[in-house]
Amino acid sequence: MTDRRLGWLLLAPALAVLGGLTVYPALWVLWLSLQYRIPVFSIARWAGLEHYAFLAGDTRFWNAAGITVVFTSCSVALECALGLAIALGLRGQHRGRRVALALLLLAWALPSVVTAKMFEWLYHPAGGLVNFLLGGRIINWLGDPALALPALIVADVWRATPFVALLCYARLLTIPADLYEAAQVDGAAGLQAFARITWPLVRPILLVTLLFRTLDALRAFDIMFVLTGGGPAGTTETLTVYAYRALFQTLQVGFGSAIGVVVFALVMAVAVVYLRVIGRAERAA
Amino acid sequence: MARRPARAAVPLARPLALLVLLGLSLAAGGCGERAASDAPVILVFKHAKILGPADPVPGLLRRFEGLHPGVRVQAEALTWSSDEQHQFYVINLEGGSPPFDVMMLDVIWVPEFARAGWILDLTPFVSPAERDAHFPTAIEPAVQDGRLWALPWFMNVGLLYYRRDLLAKYGFVPPETYEALVEQVRRIWAGEGDPRLDGYLWQGKQYEGGMVNVLEALWANGARLLDEQGRPFPERARAQESLAFLRGLIESGVSPAWVTAADEELTRRPFGDGRAIFLRSWPYALDLFEQPDSRVRGKVGVAALPRLGHGPVGAASTGGAHLAVSARTRHQALAVDLARFLTSELAQRAMTAGAALRPSRPRLYRDPALVARDPTLPALLGLMEKGHPRPITPYYLMLSTTLQPEFSAVLVGRKSPERAIHDGTAQVDHLLRAIRP
Repeated sequence: MTDRRLGWLLLAPALAVLGGLTVYPALWVLWLSLQYRIPVFSIARWAGLEHYAFLAGDTRFWNAAGITVVFTSCSVALECALGLAIALGLRGQHRGRRVALALLLLAWALPSVVTAKMFEWLYHPAGGLVNFLLGGRIINWLGDPALALPALIVADVWRATPFVALLCYARLLTIPADLYEAAQVDGAAGLQAFARITWPLVRPILLVTLLFRTLDALRAFDIMFVLTGGGPAGTTETLTVYAYRALFQTLQVGFGSAIGVVVFALVMAVAVVYLRVIGRAERAA
Repeated sequence: MARRPARAAVPLARPLALLVLLGLSLAAGGCGERAASDAPVILVFKHAKILGPADPVPGLLRRFEGLHPGVRVQAEALTWSSDEQHQFYVINLEGGSPPFDVMMLDVIWVPEFARAGWILDLTPFVSPAERDAHFPTAIEPAVQDGRLWALPWFMNVGLLYYRRDLLAKYGFVPPETYEALVEQVRRIWAGEGDPRLDGYLWQGKQYEGGMVNVLEALWANGARLLDEQGRPFPERARAQESLAFLRGLIESGVSPAWVTAADEELTRRPFGDGRAIFLRSWPYALDLFEQPDSRVRGKVGVAALPRLGHGPVGAASTGGAHLAVSARTRHQALAVDLARFLTSELAQRAMTAGAALRPSRPRLYRDPALVARDPTLPALLGLMEKGHPRPITPYYLMLSTTLQPEFSAVLVGRKSPERAIHDGTAQVDHLLRAIRP
C-alpha cells in the first residue's frame, strides 16, 4: 500500500462522518428548496427555482437580509473593539484578575436564551433597570422600531464580547515580555509599542475570532426570537428568524429550505473571504 | 459550534475546568431517571409542566395506573415555550413513529395535526354525553371535518381586569364599551394625578398573543379575520377601524407605548404593582393578584372585554390545552382511556383545585367545593361561554405568523391600517394559492 492510499484510508472515517453529518443534510436542504413541500396538506410537487424567484421580489426577505447585515456588522465590530480593549486592560490588571476572568466567563457561559430573558427585564420600559439608570424616563426599547435593533445589538455585544476578550487575552499572555523591554530600551513605549508589537501579534488571532463571531452573528436567532420575536413590525426579523417561521411555524418545508440555502450561501461567501484574508495575513507574517 | 474558548492560555484553565465540571454534573443529573420497569405496557404522556400550588398530574397518573393494573404512565415534560413545543411535535410526528402516546396540544394546533394525520380520530370513543359535558367553545376547535380529534383539558379566555377600588372611588362600573373605558381612564387620571399610573395594558408584541389581542379588537367591532370561504377580512372597513382604535390607544396615551413590545408577563407585573387601571389578560393572573404578598390583593375585579362599535360585549379569545392521541400509538385503547381519564370531571376537579387552571366543564364552575376555593369561578362561567375560538383551520399558524408583522406595523405607527390590511391580504392570498391546488 502506498503512503497515499494509506493516507486516504486513514482519512476515510473522518470524511465519512463529515459527509454524513454536513454534506448530506446540506444537499438534502438544497433538494427540498426546489420543491413545494407542505406535509400537513400533503403537498409535495416540483417547484424548480420558483421559491428563489419569489424571494427575489419578497420585501420581507430583503428586509430580513438588510437587518441581518446591519446586526452582524455592528455587533461584531463592537465586540472586537471592546474585546481587545478588555484584553489589554486585563493584562495591565494585577489585582482581581482571576475574579474578572471568572465574571467574563460567566457572561459567555450563560445560554443565550437566558441572556435574552435577562435583557427583556432590563429593558422593561416601566420597571427595567436600564430606564431607571437613565433617570426614570420611559423609553420603549423593544417596542420602538428605531430602538429595537440597537437594543438587540447591545445584548449580543454583552454576551459575546467575553469570547473575543478571552481569545485576545490568551494571545497577549504569550507575547514575551522581553519584546516590550527591548522596545523600551529603543525608546518605543505606549502607543508605539502597541502599534509595532501588540497589534501585529494579536491581529491573526483577532481575524480568526472575527471569523467565528461573524458566522455566529449571521446565524443569530435566539436573542431576537426571545426578545422581540422579530418585531416590532418586522424590524428585528433576521433571515434565520424568517426561515424558522417558514419551516417550523408555518411548516412550508420547501420555501423555508430556500431561505436556509440563501443563509448558507451567505455564510459560505463570508467565510471564504475571511479565509483568504487570513491566509494572506499568514503568508505576510 | 466554534464557541468554546478552547485555546485559552493556562490562567484560564482552572475556571474552564470548573465550568466543564459543572456542565458534566448537570448533564449527569439529567440521566438515570428512566428506571427500567417490569410493567408490560408503558404509556408516554407528553405535557408542559403544570404551574400552581400543587401539581395534580402525578397523583392522577398513579390513580390511572391503579385502575389499569400492569400499565405504567411515564409523564415527560415539554419545553416551556409554545413555539418549541410545536416544533418538537412537528419533528417527531412527521418522521416515523413518535416516542409518545398521549400529548398535550395548544388548541390552535388541533386542526393542523388532524389534517396532517398525526392524531387519532376520537369520535368513535367519545359519547355525545361526554362531548356535551364540555363548553361548546372548547369542543368546536377540536372538530375538523365533523370528527373530534382531541379532548379539552383546561381552558382559557381573555378577560378585562380592573381595579375595583379605583373604579368604586369614582363611582364607575366595569366598562361595556371601549369608549367608556377610555373615559374612565381619563377621569381617574384627572382625580389621582399620578403620572406613574397607566391606563389600559394589553399585549401588542409581534407574537401569537399580539395576534389574539388584534383578533379580539376585530371581533369587538363585528369584523372577522376569515369568512366562510376562508377569504381574509370580509368586513374590511370595520377591521380597519379596529386597528385604528388600537393604535389610537397608544397615540392618546391611554395605553403606554411599550405595550407594542409587551407579552402577558410584562403587562401582568405593572398591574400587579398597582400601576395600571385596566389590563387584558388570561385567568392565570387572577391567582397571582390574590397572593398574600400582592399589592393589589382584594382590589382586582374581572369583567368581559368591552365592545367597540358594531360588535358584542365579551368577544374574547379562548385558549387552553387539549389532549390528543398519537395516530401511531401501539396501545390505542389504553391511550384513549388515558386522554379520557385526564379530561374527566374527576381529573379536571383535581386540576382546578391544585393547579389553578380553569376547567372546560361548565358543571365545575358551580361546584360548591371549588367555588369556595375560588369565588371567581361563577363569574368566569359566562365569559367562557361567550368566548370566541381563533379561526379553526389547519393553516391558522400560517395565517397568524404572516399577519403578525403587518398588525405590529400598525401598532407602532409604521403602516396605516388600510396599508397593513392590503399587504396582509396579498400575502394571505399568496399563501392560500400554494395550499389550494
